[in-house]
Amino acid sequence: MNSPLFEYGLFGEGASLIVALIIGFFFGLFLERGGLGNPHKLTGVFYLKDFTVPKVMFTAMLVASGGLYLLGDLKVLNVSKIWIVPTFFWPQISGGFLFGLGYLVAGYCPGTAVAGLAGGRIDAFVTMLGMIAGSLVFAVIYPAIENFYLSSEMGTATLPMILGVSHWVVLFFLAVMAGLMFYFMERLERKQKSF
Amino acid sequence: MERTNFWSPYAAGIGLGLTLLATFYIMGKGLGASNAFSIFSAVAVNKVNPGYAANLKYFGRYFIGSPLKDWIVFEILGVFAGALTGAVLSRNFSLKFDKASGMSRSTRLFTAFSGGVIIGFASRLARGCTSGVALSGGAELAIAGWVFVVSMFLSGFLFAAIFRRLWS
Repeated sequence: MNSPLFEYGLFGEGASLIVALIIGFFFGLFLERGGLGNPHKLTGVFYLKDFTVPKVMFTAMLVASGGLYLLGDLKVLNVSKIWIVPTFFWPQISGGFLFGLGYLVAGYCPGTAVAGLAGGRIDAFVTMLGMIAGSLVFAVIYPAIENFYLSSEMGTATLPMILGVSHWVVLFFLAVMAGLMFYFMERLERKQKSF
Repeated sequence: MERTNFWSPYAAGIGLGLTLLATFYIMGKGLGASNAFSIFSAVAVNKVNPGYAANLKYFGRYFIGSPLKDWIVFEILGVFAGALTGAVLSRNFSLKFDKASGMSRSTRLFTAFSGGVIIGFASRLARGCTSGVALSGGAELAIAGWVFVVSMFLSGFLFAAIFRRLWS
């Protein structure tokens, strides 16, 4: 096992920035080609009109997740060296809730705003300025909300850990859910087109 | 009228998923986006008012080294280059101020900015956004990712029912 490559010292900090550019390039390319630089498509899901966002997002999650745990089980990739997004339950529930409002109002999220600007959308640049201002607001009032920000910590908890089942059980369940969702989304979109 | 020569969302999703998988394999972490804007914010504020951002407890973390020489800043530059390449090659690039039909320019200016402010604040509170927490955390099967995804979609549906004419 010699991966994650960076964690095993295959290249240094300087080279990692070149890697960042290349990875970002593909990230941006697939976002734009999927239609995720377009605020009408980005918000369509909330009006049950255009389900591009959940289709792209859940397909990507399943591919990456299946690949990650497969490489781990094949002992190609050391999953214990992967940085797992830490869970802080209530801050992330409330952050996600606020985020949903901001995403609907702006028509973008941070990555897709960059894709939107790259497609020539000036309003996406305005949203980026807003995100810069919003980060400052957070940093300024941070001392007042620090206790809440650090509350309900669950560390690197994952669904298989909490449920006490194999990651393949969770992935199977998620794949079935996604498959059903995709089926109904396709049906709904076809129905609307026929009007 | 918008050109609709986009790829199938499933094809784009597979591409995005393989990109994320490669990021796990090469870097040992997932993708991100919102933290770059937090860094830009700290750097910009420090330019205007030297020392102010560096002394803020939350922004102070960025000033240990040179804040812009960060992985996520370079990743975001790559996102811009990749999306620009995709838009130009598919003839999908057009300079415009995008908004719902019937919305005035000044209203759109307000929604684009205020929505951005909420996103900027919310992604700091949640420790990331749709890329870092939802997509990357979700693929890791981290609780954080799925908690964020569920909360974000519920909120989006709820507020879309309230603000019906924001986009449709």
